[in-house]
Amino acid sequence: MLNTKNIKPFFFIISLFAGLIAGQATQAQALIPQQRFDAANNLYQQNKFTEAAAAYQELMDEGYTQKMLYFNAGNAYYKAGKNGSAIYSYEKALQLAPNDAVIKHNLELANQKVNGYVEELPLVFFQQWWQQLSLLHSPNGWATGAILLFWLLTAGVLLNTFLPGWKNKFLRWGNYTLGTLFVLYLIFSISTYFAANDHSTGIVMHSNIRTKTAPDDNSRDSFEVQEGMKVHVSDATKDYCKIALADGKTGWISCAYIKRL
Amino acid sequence: MKDRFTIRKCILSILCCLGVVACAQAQEFRFTTSVSSNTVSQDEPFQIQFMLENGVNIASFTPPSFKDFEVLQGPSQMQGQSIFNGKRSEYIALSYVLQPKRVGNFTIPGAQARVNGSLVKSNPVLIEVRKGNAQAQAPQATPPPVGHRDRSSGGEELPEGVLRKGEDINAKLKKNIFLKVDVDKTDLYEGDQLTVTYKLYTRLPTNSSVTKVPAFKGFSAKDIELPNPPQATEERINGIPFKVFTIRKTLLFPLQSGTLDLDPVEVNNEVRLVKLVSGKQSKAKDQFDDFFNDPAFKDPFFDDFFNRPEVEYEDVPYKIQSTPIKVNVKPLPAEGKPASFNGAVGHFNMTATVDKTKLSTDDALTLKVTISGQGNVNLLNSPKVEVPTGFEKYDPKTTDDIEKNSNPLTGSRQFEYVLMPQEAGQHTIPAVEFSYFDPSANSYKTLRSEPFVINITQGKRIKEDKHDFSVGKNELVKIDTGLHKWSKKQGWLITSAWFYILLLLPLLIAGGLILYKRKQDYNITNAALLKHRYANKVALKRLELAARYLKEGKDKSFYEETSRAVWGYLSHKLKIPFADLSKQLVQEKLSARQINGSNTSDLFELIDNCEMALYAPSHNNNKMQGTYTQAVNIITNLEDALKN
Repeated sequence: MLNTKNIKPFFFIISLFAGLIAGQATQAQALIPQQRFDAANNLYQQNKFTEAAAAYQELMDEGYTQKMLYFNAGNAYYKAGKNGSAIYSYEKALQLAPNDAVIKHNLELANQKVNGYVEELPLVFFQQWWQQLSLLHSPNGWATGAILLFWLLTAGVLLNTFLPGWKNKFLRWGNYTLGTLFVLYLIFSISTYFAANDHSTGIVMHSNIRTKTAPDDNSRDSFEVQEGMKVHVSDATKDYCKIALADGKTGWISCAYIKRL
Repeated sequence: MKDRFTIRKCILSILCCLGVVACAQAQEFRFTTSVSSNTVSQDEPFQIQFMLENGVNIASFTPPSFKDFEVLQGPSQMQGQSIFNGKRSEYIALSYVLQPKRVGNFTIPGAQARVNGSLVKSNPVLIEVRKGNAQAQAPQATPPPVGHRDRSSGGEELPEGVLRKGEDINAKLKKNIFLKVDVDKTDLYEGDQLTVTYKLYTRLPTNSSVTKVPAFKGFSAKDIELPNPPQATEERINGIPFKVFTIRKTLLFPLQSGTLDLDPVEVNNEVRLVKLVSGKQSKAKDQFDDFFNDPAFKDPFFDDFFNRPEVEYEDVPYKIQSTPIKVNVKPLPAEGKPASFNGAVGHFNMTATVDKTKLSTDDALTLKVTISGQGNVNLLNSPKVEVPTGFEKYDPKTTDDIEKNSNPLTGSRQFEYVLMPQEAGQHTIPAVEFSYFDPSANSYKTLRSEPFVINITQGKRIKEDKHDFSVGKNELVKIDTGLHKWSKKQGWLITSAWFYILLLLPLLIAGGLILYKRKQDYNITNAALLKHRYANKVALKRLELAARYLKEGKDKSFYEETSRAVWGYLSHKLKIPFADLSKQLVQEKLSARQINGSNTSDLFELIDNCEMALYAPSHNNNKMQGTYTQAVNIITNLEDALKN
């Protein structure tokens, strides 16, 4: 009797301790990037823009994909005069939050510095709806939703078929709804995946680059592109990428000049 | 050829040295004496001119006696008209070139003329003759054949324009017209100034046009404006006076090092030569001719004035080119070249000023850098201004103030930088540095201004920006400094195996359930199938039992068993549950299987027999035997019919 009474709190303490350790560990892991982020922010506020940009870039290179990290990096690059990198960072942030007015505003400022900047056409209303809707969940959220809905749908169909007592029109309509929702979630999880892994747009990172009419060194020169221009990469060879500007001009430039989004 | 007046006019105009005859302005009658100089040295010739203006009906003209002077030339007569302020006047002038014989003061009395019947007299002139010096004499003696004919005041006559008999035209042209290029240096540094002057030397009346101007490749050129029409200066070469016209004077700044060529200039000349025609003899026509019948007056111009047709003129085209000149341009020395050097060569001063040192972030600051001095001012590049962060810098505005026709090129260039402060606080604009190369000292020099300390206060506009970025359209929204959840990029659920496993799992469960149900259903259907298959055997077994009861004479049991065998057979074969069996249902089922006629009627007859025997028992062995045979037959027949 005594033994069992003592053992219980003992286990409790152990589990609590383990939980504390685990909690601290996760906290420490989260703190390091936050500290480095704060340090970079301090550099920025001391007008050390180049250093701040380097600190942000380090975090980004490690795989952190926070919106405000991209945004702050964009600001630092902008102030440091690296317009190409600034636009790249803002575009990255905008991919995570396409309707963020603050990011849009700063991106617009950076774009004003680009020579010969061509504004992109705004999305058609149904494209906007689609974009809004796809922001409802994260890509993994859509996938999880699709799985859950599929489970529910299967359960509903099984009930409907094997239990004659459950057979009624409510269950049938419920199944139809579940089926439609499942298809929708599946489509969104696929489309968000492809949208996030689409690297067909890029930012030109160097100034005064003459595009070529064909992908080799000896071909004729065409128009000029400037640092910070957003281009659509429609074709590529080993060294050359075919780019299309928002106004429809196309040409070939070395892939090394483009940073894919 | 006949029009001698034109000849004279041409000669006058070509050399742009119009004669002195521009004094006739008055409309009223006037008779004046004028001399080129009232004070002369003893060996100096001078001109005296008697001019009769607006004289009508001139009957005689008597010059005074020049007893103290020697007449070198004259009289030469001029006649002309002038229109001044719309009023026309005519004049006749007679001029002599005299040389004093002695030193002293002399008075030359006026000339007399009879005009419109009355005798008029011009004013007397006083001439002071001083002792001539040897220097003045020397050049006078050098050109012996033509010297005595020079008219010092007019310049309208160029005696070399006369082509003497037997003279070679080309040799004469070559000797008397040529081009010369003057360069102040031929060995200089890149960016240093070089002055080049193209000059035309001539002793002949000529109509010249420049056909090829130098391009000055490799130089930055700045032309010096020349007077238009060109003005001649006189220069003596080997003692011979030449008229010199400057064609082009340019300041050059070499833009590259190496040996650079100065292109030649090309001039097309139309030289008007006067030829003496030997065949014709002069004839007395003029009133003065008899008077001055002297071989000295066989001058063509003299003849011309007196309308003697003894000369011809000829326009000779003559193309000349200057000699090309090579200039050696040295590159600027590499050693000691300051970092701030960007091409200035010469001698410069620099001032740098800011228009204010205290301002708010709403204002703009102007930094003016002025570089003045001598050298390639027109090629100065903007000095690099290191602007601290916190300022936005715009490209400088350049204003030039270069002195016109200065040689060496002098002036200033001003660079105006507009700086927009971005952040409040004390900022220091570092000193502006400007370097140039001084070719005279052969070294680089660096000028430095003072650094500027600028106090910037926070303006109103920026504060608003912090709250509402849509107002300050050109301000960045500040960075996000909050706490955030940090997570690295996650994998994609949709590409992981879990996604597909979890999607397949309910399908598998559903499949299992369906299989289970199937099996259950199968088992149920299988029992019915067996009953169907073994219906015949069960029926026959029951009939065997019935046959035993028949032998034993148990009527009731026999009929019961037979009835049961038939009904059981029908129940199994036609898959009718036992409780539902009825004659009517059996008939329906059978007719559905297209079994009609004797089989059906026999079957029902047998069933009726059995029922009747059960409810009204009567022992009849034969009848029982018949019923048994009938039952066996019916079942066998039905079995056959149902198999098909």
